Amino acid sequence: MTSSASEAAASAVAATALPRRVPWHTRLARIEPASLVWLLLALVLLLLVAAPLGKLFLVSFEERGTGAFTLANYAAAYGRQRYLDALFNSLRLGLTSATIAVVLAVPMAWAVSRTDMPGKGLTWAAVLGAFVLPPYLGAVGWILLAGPNSGFINVAWRSLTGATAPLFNVYSFNGLAMVIALTAFPLVFIFVKSALDLVSSEMEDAANILGAGTWTTMRKVSLPLVWPAIIGGFIIVFLESIALFGTPAIIGIPARINVVTTQLWQFFEYPVRVEVAAAYAMPLLLITVAMIGVQKLLLARKGFVSQTGKGGERRPIKLGPFRWVMFAWCAGVGLLAVGLPLSVLLQASFAKAWGRGLAFDNLTLRNYRLLIFEHEMAMTSIWNTVWFSAVAATAAVAIALLVAYIVTRRLVPMGDVLGFMAMAPFVIPGIVMAIGFYAAYAGPPLSLYGTALLIILAFTARFLPIAYANAGAAIRAVHPEMEEAARILGSGRLRAISVITAPLVKKALLGGWLLVFIVASRELSAAIFLVGPRTRTMSVLLYDLSEAGNFEVLAAFGGLLLLVTMVFVVIGMKLVGRDFMLRRT
Amino acid sequence: MARLSLHKVSKRYGALTVVDSLDLALEEGEFVSLLGPSGCGKTTTLRMLAGFVDPDAGSIALDGQVISAPGSVLPPERRGMSMIFQSYAIWPNMTVAENVAFGLKLRKLSAEETRRRVGEILEVVQMGALAGRYPSELSGGQQQRVALARAIVVKPRVLLLDEPLSNLDANLREEMRFEIRRLHDEFRITTVYVTHDQAEAMATSDRIAVMNAGRIEQVDAPHLLYTRPRTRFVAGFIGRTNLIEAELRDNTVGFDGVAVPADALGAQPSQGAQPSDAHRAVLISIRPQSVMLHRAPPAVANGSVVVPGRISQRVFLGESWDYVVSGEATGLKLRAAAPASDVHEVGTQVWMAVDPRHMVIVD
Amino acid sequence: MRTNRRFLIAGLSAAAIIRPRVAAAQELPPHERALHQAAQREGELTWYTGQLQAEPSEAVGRAFSERFPGVKVNVVRSTSQVAFQRLSQDMRARVAQCDVFSSVDYSHLTFLKREGRLMPYRPENAAGLAKGARDAGDTDGHFQITYLALYALGRRTDRVSEAEAPTSWRELTDPRWRDKLSVGHPGFSGAVGSWAIMMRKAYGEPFFRALERNKPQIGRSASDPVTVLNAGERVVGVAISGQSTLLSISRGNPLALIYPTDGTLMVPSPSGAMANAPRPNAARLFMEFMTSPAYSNTITSYYAESLRPEVPAPRGSRPLDSIPLITPTPEEVEKNIAEVKELWRDIFGV
Repeated sequence: MTSSASEAAASAVAATALPRRVPWHTRLARIEPASLVWLLLALVLLLLVAAPLGKLFLVSFEERGTGAFTLANYAAAYGRQRYLDALFNSLRLGLTSATIAVVLAVPMAWAVSRTDMPGKGLTWAAVLGAFVLPPYLGAVGWILLAGPNSGFINVAWRSLTGATAPLFNVYSFNGLAMVIALTAFPLVFIFVKSALDLVSSEMEDAANILGAGTWTTMRKVSLPLVWPAIIGGFIIVFLESIALFGTPAIIGIPARINVVTTQLWQFFEYPVRVEVAAAYAMPLLLITVAMIGVQKLLLARKGFVSQTGKGGERRPIKLGPFRWVMFAWCAGVGLLAVGLPLSVLLQASFAKAWGRGLAFDNLTLRNYRLLIFEHEMAMTSIWNTVWFSAVAATAAVAIALLVAYIVTRRLVPMGDVLGFMAMAPFVIPGIVMAIGFYAAYAGPPLSLYGTALLIILAFTARFLPIAYANAGAAIRAVHPEMEEAARILGSGRLRAISVITAPLVKKALLGGWLLVFIVASRELSAAIFLVGPRTRTMSVLLYDLSEAGNFEVLAAFGGLLLLVTMVFVVIGMKLVGRDFMLRRT
Repeated sequence: MARLSLHKVSKRYGALTVVDSLDLALEEGEFVSLLGPSGCGKTTTLRMLAGFVDPDAGSIALDGQVISAPGSVLPPERRGMSMIFQSYAIWPNMTVAENVAFGLKLRKLSAEETRRRVGEILEVVQMGALAGRYPSELSGGQQQRVALARAIVVKPRVLLLDEPLSNLDANLREEMRFEIRRLHDEFRITTVYVTHDQAEAMATSDRIAVMNAGRIEQVDAPHLLYTRPRTRFVAGFIGRTNLIEAELRDNTVGFDGVAVPADALGAQPSQGAQPSDAHRAVLISIRPQSVMLHRAPPAVANGSVVVPGRISQRVFLGESWDYVVSGEATGLKLRAAAPASDVHEVGTQVWMAVDPRHMVIVD
Repeated sequence: MRTNRRFLIAGLSAAAIIRPRVAAAQELPPHERALHQAAQREGELTWYTGQLQAEPSEAVGRAFSERFPGVKVNVVRSTSQVAFQRLSQDMRARVAQCDVFSSVDYSHLTFLKREGRLMPYRPENAAGLAKGARDAGDTDGHFQITYLALYALGRRTDRVSEAEAPTSWRELTDPRWRDKLSVGHPGFSGAVGSWAIMMRKAYGEPFFRALERNKPQIGRSASDPVTVLNAGERVVGVAISGQSTLLSISRGNPLALIYPTDGTLMVPSPSGAMANAPRPNAARLFMEFMTSPAYSNTITSYYAESLRPEVPAPRGSRPLDSIPLITPTPEEVEKNIAEVKELWRDIFGV
């Protein structure tokens, strides 16, 4: 070939080989809508999660009024012995409650999951009841039961044995820890039972055949296998306990126990010292992060394999006559957690004077009548609770679904960041979240203080992790090939989602919505800082009612709160399944 | 080392009889497999031996002492047996050494003795270097060895294995089969092995009990099961075979234009008071490996039965050809196995020759 | 303030003796009628109050709406400190929610007036208040006394006889009252705050330390001890609200009031309309209402003291000039309340 011919050939090859640059408008048209959605979601999550926390952090270094940088807030927050005492009290309370909760729940979980103990349905009901009963209501019930001089239990004890000292004084550190554990143990139960359900019976059979009896097997094989779940449950209860406000306020003040949450409340007294509150709240956040870190560390050892998959075949262990002992244990816990408090609350709600006990002349409908017809705020607060929780649940589920979809299908390279932000509020105590929202949005320029919007935003952020865990599990259950099959046939992604995926995850999402709704409807620690007089929720009104110690009306209002909650629980059970609240996502 | 005997053991689940009046006796140190398809009751039988399931009728005795009977069952932890599970059931939260030591600790051995015996057994199963590992770090085969070590180290009287190799891939299975038999030979523990895989059963067992629908069809040494199946099920289950319906009359077996004196057959029909002029239908089993294919009519000198036919189907299996030959003038259709080099086209004429000694009367 | 108090007592004692006819409620005076029409357009008002308990407060709201149909009252009842905290949060966020503010802490209202937060409105009906109440209110009339709070000692009649009962605040430090006392919390209740200020003034810090050694049950509101005593949890109430106690006694509970020899705490409790009230006409109307006989009628049925000469004192209450009284000055309260709260918290731990 001549050189010019070869040149021509080369350029001809070059002309066909090099593709022309793709025009920008074509590239734009090919952008996956997912990328835009990702940006939007990132913005939303920043506003909901990062901004309040960031503002909290910044505010803790600000001087009140001027905004100048200062460390004085930290000095003020930790300068007084009382404040430090409150911190230690919280830690001690968390550890004690978590221990009690584990002691209560682990035998129950083992009995229900692996043995032939009778009355499993009753045990489930007790766990569900304890889950649904708001902690502060349980606290009031226990005041009626175990006030050292007037509580029913102590009165009965004294008349039976003639002793002067009470059997159980609820106004004590152990009393407070016990009451908290009784409302928090369902968390441990769910964790441990789910893990036990995945243990194949062959693990226990192998121990049996080598010579280990039932109890030895339980101690050496079954429970150690679910050690991660037990630790996980312990940590969750610990975190719940240190973040509680209602119970320590109602029981702690007469018991003279100051904890971090009640101390934070004091910083909000006039004059409001948000800056010091922020500085004081930081350790709560750090402790939470530290606990999660400790958990990861403990379980990083290779010995603890996370239980996934279907597990193996399960046969119930025959306990013989001992199954009645286990039943008694479960029944006992159910009685303490649900049966007794609920009964005294019901009795008080229909009583003229609860101390007079159950007597015909003590029965009245006056308390309910007062609330329904004469108390201005009672009905409004019920309405507030319902619609705040509903909107927050909807927002949380919507955001969670989008984030879960993007993360699970790996649509964007940095998707995990979104997932992280969606789960982050899990480690933030509700009260800290609320203070962050207060710092970020309550004042100027947005001035959302006392508005419904502020509360809804805070609730959405707070319960996003629940919605996200739920949505994530739901999306993961739908094989991506289902959508791919639709897309290869010509359907766009969005259409594939709405026609294929959405119907498949509908039920799970409904369960998630209901779960967020129910938990939001009884939330107190976050709400107490953010409600205005007109936007009070039921929980806050209940707390206000407890101020004057008018337990009869308080109990009646508690009854109404429970009624509203149960309506939604029953709806949930009918639509999604009997255990929709107790399934671990 | 113990003698194990099952006497008319039955188990029912509702209306379904899973194990039906089973009789079986094991000698000391014997390795017996329970072989059969899914649902034949072999695993249930094994679990009754272990004490996890109670029999509804019959009894199980160990060294003469009854350990299982309806209403009276010695719990598994007191039987002195060991079991290997299908999932291995190695505890993931304990190291290899801790898993193996579990049974010894329960028997209250001293720490030093425990360590010694654990070390020994791990060497035997060639897992000594991995004593400190966790199960999640082991392969399937290694976990299997740990399970074996754990079971053997306690010197059980009986060793029970429940389809232990079904989760392994083919190569590993062969290796482990060998390993299990080797360990048995070394320690001579009475062993009951449940499997649905004939090759496994044949490779490892002293005797095999073939089970079907809750009953034992035949208990025999592996090669006898193969060459002398006594029931249709066993004949069809063990290896592949041609089953032909024939007639026995005047001591002659006749089918599809073939007549062979009954004495010439490999297996005699069941002895007993059978009048010689009895006339009944029988089933004949001819293994495909016994059907020789010739391109030309062979000499009949050795007494083989020769039938002309045509190749109607063929499949090449790598190591052999699988031919289906249809008889020329008869309805006879036989499968024949031929070496890879022996190629016949479909439709060509061949002569099938079968040595009568390879024909077996199956009831 | 001392002189005011004496006039107050004199005026109220006179009111207790004179019992003229109460004006008919249906006939609205012209100024009220005009305000009513304007308020109806606004439709509602929000009232932050720490003076009376929930039930009487709701009753006041209902009475107002009955007298002035078409104007709803949102009663936001809490202890005074909490009410003030909410108000200050509103102010800090520059959000106007409250129309009328009522507290048992006098210094709250003086503070608000000083900051220019109160509506410069003098209710016409205030002219007809009992002299004492009128004089104790703001000189410009921007806040009025709407509750004459009394805080004394209380006892369970079936557990503590009159002879055994403590007769003074000072006696509470006696060790025999260990585990028997019940009291509110100065951090929540304005009244308990005032009481604590007076106790510190009279007996100093050692009083509180001694009281702490007796391990009283601490609640929040000054009415808490009523429920605690009713339940039988404790047997002596400290700084207990006289009004709540009398109300409880009238309902059949076995309680009795004890007027301490070293002075029953009396707190003239003011209310004022907010300058930035979102519903100013309703706010004015409510102030008129609170200074009118209709209001006094309502609260006396709950055993609060009457503020109008025409309205008789509640049955069973002792005439005020027969008991020794103590009252802090507004300056005293404003200056000392924060310090006393901290002192309390340091000593009692909560």
